[in-house]
Amino acid sequence: MSTKLIGRTSVRDNIKLSEDPSYPIFKELYEKQKKVVWFPEELNIQQDALDYHSLTDDEKELFDTAVGYFCSSELLVQNVLVNSFFPLLTDPHAKMSFSTQLFMENIHSDFFEIVLQSFGLDREKMYDVAFDDPILRKKQDLIVDEIDKISHGKINPETLEGQKQVLRAILLNNIVLEGIFFYSSFAHFFALKDMAKMKNVVSGVELVLIDESLHLQNGIEAILIMLDENPEIVEDTEYVQDIRNVILEGTSLEIEYVKHQFGDRTILGISSGEMERYLKYITDRRLQELGFQQEFHINENPLRFLQKEDVKKLINFFEVSSTEYTNY
Amino acid sequence: MKRTVIKRDGTEEPFRTQKIINAIFEIIQGLEVEDDYEIVFKIMKELDLKVPKRVATEELDQLVLKAIEQLIPKHPVYDTLATRQLLKIIDKDINRRLDHFRDYLARGFEENLLDESLKEFDFELLANSLNFDRDGLLGYFGLTTLKDRYLMRDRDDQIIEKPQWFFMRVAMGIGNSNGEVIKIYNKLSKLEYLHSTPTLFNSGTTTAQYSSCYVSVIDDSLDSIMDKARETAFLAKYAGGVGTDVTRIRATGSNIKSLNAPSSGAIPFIKIFDTLVNSIQQGGRRRSSQVMSMQPWHLDIDGFLDLRETTGNAYFRTPSLNTSLWMPDEMMRRIKEGEPLYFFDPGECPELVDAVGDDFRAKYEKRIEQAEAGGLKQFDKRDSKNFFKKYLFKLAKTGHPWLIFKDEHNRHNPCPEYSVINSSNLCTEISIPNHSDSTAVCTLASVNLSKHLTDDESDIDWDKFEDTLETMTRGLDNVLDKNFYPSEPAEKNTMDLRPLGIGLMGFAEALVDLGIPYDSEEAVILARKIGAFMRKVTYRTSQQLAEERGAFEHYREMKEAGSPYDYKPRRNAVLLAIAPTASISIISGTTSSIDSYFSNLYSRDTLSGKHIVINRQLIEDLEEKGHWSDEMAQKIKANNGSVQPIQELDGVINKDLYKTAYEIHPERQIDIAAAFQESIDQSVSKSLYIAERMRDDMEEFYLYAWEKKLKSTYYCFIDKVVKGEKYTEEVNKRGSRKGFGAVSSDTGSESSNGTSSKPGKEEQESVSDREELEARAREKFGDEVVDQALNADAGSCPTDPMLQKICPSCE
Repeated sequence: MSTKLIGRTSVRDNIKLSEDPSYPIFKELYEKQKKVVWFPEELNIQQDALDYHSLTDDEKELFDTAVGYFCSSELLVQNVLVNSFFPLLTDPHAKMSFSTQLFMENIHSDFFEIVLQSFGLDREKMYDVAFDDPILRKKQDLIVDEIDKISHGKINPETLEGQKQVLRAILLNNIVLEGIFFYSSFAHFFALKDMAKMKNVVSGVELVLIDESLHLQNGIEAILIMLDENPEIVEDTEYVQDIRNVILEGTSLEIEYVKHQFGDRTILGISSGEMERYLKYITDRRLQELGFQQEFHINENPLRFLQKEDVKKLINFFEVSSTEYTNY
Repeated sequence: MKRTVIKRDGTEEPFRTQKIINAIFEIIQGLEVEDDYEIVFKIMKELDLKVPKRVATEELDQLVLKAIEQLIPKHPVYDTLATRQLLKIIDKDINRRLDHFRDYLARGFEENLLDESLKEFDFELLANSLNFDRDGLLGYFGLTTLKDRYLMRDRDDQIIEKPQWFFMRVAMGIGNSNGEVIKIYNKLSKLEYLHSTPTLFNSGTTTAQYSSCYVSVIDDSLDSIMDKARETAFLAKYAGGVGTDVTRIRATGSNIKSLNAPSSGAIPFIKIFDTLVNSIQQGGRRRSSQVMSMQPWHLDIDGFLDLRETTGNAYFRTPSLNTSLWMPDEMMRRIKEGEPLYFFDPGECPELVDAVGDDFRAKYEKRIEQAEAGGLKQFDKRDSKNFFKKYLFKLAKTGHPWLIFKDEHNRHNPCPEYSVINSSNLCTEISIPNHSDSTAVCTLASVNLSKHLTDDESDIDWDKFEDTLETMTRGLDNVLDKNFYPSEPAEKNTMDLRPLGIGLMGFAEALVDLGIPYDSEEAVILARKIGAFMRKVTYRTSQQLAEERGAFEHYREMKEAGSPYDYKPRRNAVLLAIAPTASISIISGTTSSIDSYFSNLYSRDTLSGKHIVINRQLIEDLEEKGHWSDEMAQKIKANNGSVQPIQELDGVINKDLYKTAYEIHPERQIDIAAAFQESIDQSVSKSLYIAERMRDDMEEFYLYAWEKKLKSTYYCFIDKVVKGEKYTEEVNKRGSRKGFGAVSSDTGSESSNGTSSKPGKEEQESVSDREELEARAREKFGDEVVDQALNADAGSCPTDPMLQKICPSCE
């Protein structure tokens, strides 16, 4: 049988690992994810308690919302994965890679939950913020509505239509949600650390970033493989255009959100203009990663402090939780 | 966009670019730059996005600073400008409250922040000695660190110290006369040497706690454990690092006579300290911290190795504590020679704790015989290689415990009659005899070697070096009598032994100036020479001090008791200790301790946030050779701060000078530390940097460190393999696959229609050839290599631009 990455599976299927995997990339991504497993207990989050109380109202709002957003979104990612395309994965290594992603989303939820508790945030409000805030809600709706459509209807992966639906689910989840929305909030956190605030929490977010960039790669690989296996998909120009539009819609929702959040002022030395440009930069990258042309043609990250995330890190261990140890 | 500036008095005015431009020109003034317009233009470009619709005047100053800061990796000139801008902000702020040095002192006394004893000095004379030009010696990272944590604040949390006032205040808390204060001020403000952080924080203040670390010993009794918990609390309160030996605490299952019940062992008691230190860490300017030290023959050693694991029973985990092993030679010998290790209960075998060297070996062997004959209640026997492997695994995984060599420390104990040396301190540079009633204290300062070179940078300026070392010895000895001791055992140890810790930083920076690669035999020879010089000068000064002020108490007691030590009387039992100098090397803007440059471009996480650090020396070198550009900066960044793979620099600069920490073989790192250790009477704290690919050789490196007679090792850094997605540079995740660009269409997907120059048929063919080649290369060499090759400078390979990294002729 000519198996595709996405197909109908039974619980009896793909329970054997092969020495010569059909998709070596997922084995590799699994291995990479395994190496970076971490636990929230490694970080001394309580250390930031005094810091938290010294944040300005704007900063607190930014921090709280970002935390609240992640609290619910990390679990949302799980739902989407499990309800939409996980059962359709036909390859054991792909399953291992995506289920490791699932596991790490647990850790992230756990981490943000501890953050909530450590600073006495209003948990009800925080968990609901992503759906109560009218602008954040639009972001969540983009993901949720689409996925619900897919997972409530019966997907038939044996058809081209089914493959297209699954691809779209992966795109929304791993690229739009994890690759654009999350990256927006990452920047808020890193800006805090840049101003020497909430350093231990942000150390945790650095670890989340490492994970998410691997998840992003999971998604990109899955999509590229699907396109490879179903060359008809790219021939459907309407569909291709639609995919591009979904990405751009995600970006414009995120831009709307940061404009609302930053307004006429700077927070942590960042203005909405910079955030907008940054999001366009990130979007261009995502587009290119999937084979699209850039939309905005922004080739330099305007939030230059982020280059601190790109270079080797040396840490005063006795001052800040380290993110530089690997597991084995 | 129309923008409005809100002034301090609440009035509003339209935002005027020209005003900002003028302000930037002002801070550039006096700086030698090629094109000041270009600099201003670049800063304005960064700033433009940053300025929101409504902005306050002070915020505008901050945003200008942020804009300049973003440009720092592009050129060192931006570092200087950022420093100047920050100085401007600090000065403006303080000038609103205080006009003069004397006003600052007055405020300090009024708010009971400064110690009354400072009033003895001649304020007029000191004020006239201040030299504000020296602000310019500070780098941006250094000044930020000073501002965030070191400059004194009043009771309303407003900064009241300018950098030069700060240096003078520190000097006033150390010098005994106006002349001495000025001399110390001059050296500190020129960054020729700095005292350790607690001294910089507290010197001259009403919290006169100058010492960095304390080393205590816990006896095997509940009384002692609780006593030491109390002592730790007070030592930690004043931001000292505490090292504590727990080897004496009896092992799990050992009998408690008074109850006739088994003990729960050492681990649950260590947990008490974890909770204690964590609760005190919450406040203050610097986190207090503690390291627990155990000799590895202790029967509870497995639990000890697991203390820093992040999973498992929380009662047996100590996330806030550090740990270290106090390793006897006999155990290292067994590990090396593959003989089994034995583990005992110190409750049953107490004589092993104090025994050192051959004495330990004899006692250990005796216990082994007894154990094998069935004469011990508890023991364990293990394969030594497996044990060491397990230990190194924990070290790589959790960063703990560090490996410190008990016998090498004790071989050089100058006062064995006082006590054995029971453990080292948090940063592993201390080696002072101590016992449960005498807690070792060390007060530290480090010379900045990079400021002690001759003008032509051909040699160390030995005269200046000598002068600095003398000043330091005298200053530190003064401090011991001004210091506040948070506990009685701490005061006792200092008064008995008067230990000092004079160390070094900026070694690697000085090497680059001297043109000596860190990774060379020449560097090892120089290290040996510097160590010997430091010893000669400080010992001579301490001997002079003994004539002026008397030898240390324990020396005199031994002499009076008729069993004198066989060395000349000196003021201080020990004088030298090479500390990691994490924070003070940042303030001085130099390389830390005797370490190499970590990387030529890296970020550093501290309590003052995250900072990008660039190797200024490299950039200056490249600039001189006409090879510094944005593209070069990008290349160095893409290579994780290394210049070694950049072929176009071959023959342009001496690349060996700029090897980064992971590019220097760990054995060379050890050789340099060992060369210093020959003369350093306390210890050299040496972190090891191990490239991921050498991870399997860790055992070898640590055996080598022991054989080379290092006293201490510190953190083991292993290059992290999996990193987050690069944020600011392109990463090709798609490889040669086309994804949505596979079919040419009008949907904006990336295919031939996207480019302005549509390839003709021929070209298309060659494109597909190229693609095939690329695909094959990917299969053979992996994506990373190919992507690297593809992104590399196309001009450098004459044959095939794409395959330059792969084809053997270019390798």
